[in-house]
Amino acid sequence: MENQVDFTQTTENGFKETMPKTWLVESILVTLFCCLPLGIVGIINASNVTSKYEAGDVAGSQKASEEAKKWVKYGFFAGLAVAVLYIIFIVIIGGGAIAAAASEQY
Amino acid sequence: MQQQHQNNTNRFAIIKWTIIAIILVLVVFIYKNYNPSNSNYFPKCPVLQTTGYKCAGCGSQRAVHALLNLDIKQAMYYNLMLVLFIPYLVLGAFFDLKKIKTPKQQKWQGIFYGTKAIWIVFIIVITFWVFRNTSFWIWN
Repeated sequence: MENQVDFTQTTENGFKETMPKTWLVESILVTLFCCLPLGIVGIINASNVTSKYEAGDVAGSQKASEEAKKWVKYGFFAGLAVAVLYIIFIVIIGGGAIAAAASEQY
Repeated sequence: MQQQHQNNTNRFAIIKWTIIAIILVLVVFIYKNYNPSNSNYFPKCPVLQTTGYKCAGCGSQRAVHALLNLDIKQAMYYNLMLVLFIPYLVLGAFFDLKKIKTPKQQKWQGIFYGTKAIWIVFIIVITFWVFRNTSFWIWN
């Protein structure tokens, strides 16, 4: 936890603390470019971060932020895995795909 | 020791961001020059492929292709939500990256990226997802 000192400094009223990262932008990108269910989980997690922060529960919102980060990571790696698998798939059936693409664009 | 560690961290960061930048340039080049609708080389949405229904992210690759070729109308046709969300995403990324914010910026972040705003985003995503699969959707 030592490397999170800046993050965990809690003042008497939580509102002086800046809001932890909600990962909302990343979650929307996951929704659009990868995996809708993971993106929606991310958006709900983002709302957990803000609602806890708005209620003054800074520690809780930091925990929610970690959770949100975890799900965005899942989304990112799922997207990456799909893209890599797709490329492998294309390379394996490469010849067939080229022929199909060529015949489509006559 | 500390210095050495710092140097290694910096070097790692430089390598990481160089790789990310190269990939980004490649992706932009590919998506600008190749239309995903005319090619088998782009991943297809598994939801659309198996069910025939579009998810909220369907068409985003084609929309990016259209956007990179400055055809906003065509991009909106492929994925309206992506185009409409761009300003919101850019502003959100700006707030995320800016570590020290002025009180005014904090106030706006609280309004645009607070709990209420996130629920509105959630409702927009679900509504878009449902309505783009109905006959009410005029961009089909």
